Amino acid sequence: MTDRPRFEQLALVHMDAAHNLALWLLRERADAEDAVQDAYLRAYRAFHQLEGAEIKPWLLTIVRNVCYRRLQERRRSANVISLDEALSTRPGSLGDGAMISAQRSPEQAAASSSEQAMLSAAMAELPPVFREVIVLREIEELSYREIADVIGAPVGTVMSRLSRARAELRTLLTKSMGRDDSNAM
Amino acid sequence: MQCDEAHDLLGAYRDKELSPEERRAVARHLEGCRTCSTALADDERIARSLRQLGRSPAPPHLAARIIAGIERSGSTSLASIGSQSKPRTRARDLGSMARYVASLAAACVLSMLATWWLMTGSRQDADIERDVASAHIRSLIQDAQIQVASSDQHTVRPWFAGRADFSPDVKDLSPAGFSLIGGRLDYVADRRVVATVYTRRQHVISVFMWPSSTAVKAIMAPHLTMRNGYNVLGWSRDGTAYWAVSDLNAEELRVMQRLL
Repeated sequence: MTDRPRFEQLALVHMDAAHNLALWLLRERADAEDAVQDAYLRAYRAFHQLEGAEIKPWLLTIVRNVCYRRLQERRRSANVISLDEALSTRPGSLGDGAMISAQRSPEQAAASSSEQAMLSAAMAELPPVFREVIVLREIEELSYREIADVIGAPVGTVMSRLSRARAELRTLLTKSMGRDDSNAM
Repeated sequence: MQCDEAHDLLGAYRDKELSPEERRAVARHLEGCRTCSTALADDERIARSLRQLGRSPAPPHLAARIIAGIERSGSTSLASIGSQSKPRTRARDLGSMARYVASLAAACVLSMLATWWLMTGSRQDADIERDVASAHIRSLIQDAQIQVASSDQHTVRPWFAGRADFSPDVKDLSPAGFSLIGGRLDYVADRRVVATVYTRRQHVISVFMWPSSTAVKAIMAPHLTMRNGYNVLGWSRDGTAYWAVSDLNAEELRVMQRLL
């Protein structure tokens, strides 16, 4: 219990990273918030196990596990799909892109081109296992070793999964840009 | 190296996760292969867009929710210990009930005080955060990050003498990978302040410094927020307020904070 101020000081600075990962995995704000809260509580209870290791990958590991458990539960109750969920998982929907940029300032929103909207949409189409490695690498700038710890897989798997995820993203974006060009004509 | 093999290693090449031999082999292949070099350029562009897209920041109330959750978990475990203890007499139950109500009232008053203190404190901080973030962004837009260009702290520090009303401690952080590129004067929180500018990889970091008002918060713990996609980290020590602003990730910014 005496560790609490230390835990809060160390862990709360990574809240944006935790929330971002949860949102990319779960695609629903309320669900992502619940997941982060749950993960932080688990992290706090297991804080003594950290023992000087880097806190960010450790925390993100817990966030990821909580998110996957929720995805599993969601799948189990998939026969009762909410309208929100049905809309948010519709492939190619731009709704997700709009959701991600909702918190940005007008300046940023204007500057963020249609390319970013397409990127969000393409990310949403990737399976979660691809999406998470992209987020951990490109946005969180974790090393392959750290990503391996977070997703519980060997470094070789991280490398091949990232490679496939990037190729997939490239293909999706080329396709959507092609669609755009044909629309313009 | 075959195209297929090189293609699979492109990401690791870009992420600098290859052995020196593999790296050289991929580099050699890239010189002669248009397909791979185009794919690499595409990946680079996608990565840049992703970084611009950035994180979707946690909503402001989430920290409070987390802390409340931890608090609650602490009290439930205490309560469950209580319920396991042996049966008590009615009188003692009443006594403990009174103590419980008293502590509840005390907790209410404390939390109100804490909220008031946090609100007034954070409102001032929010103004400063906005000011320093703006000053940093303005310097980037006008491409005027530095008025004195030098990687030598012994050049930068004397430049401030006579221009600022205090002598800042300019540190050389190049061993840790933060290169000093110079300094400038700026205007933040209704006062003239000193800004030293560092770079790390392609990221520019402005560190604003001024004498902190000694009466309040002589030592302020590092406090990180995000403004318009920039990380803003504020802290104070030894009577100086520091505010670092950059698009660098929060962890590396905190490393810098510990070094300064």
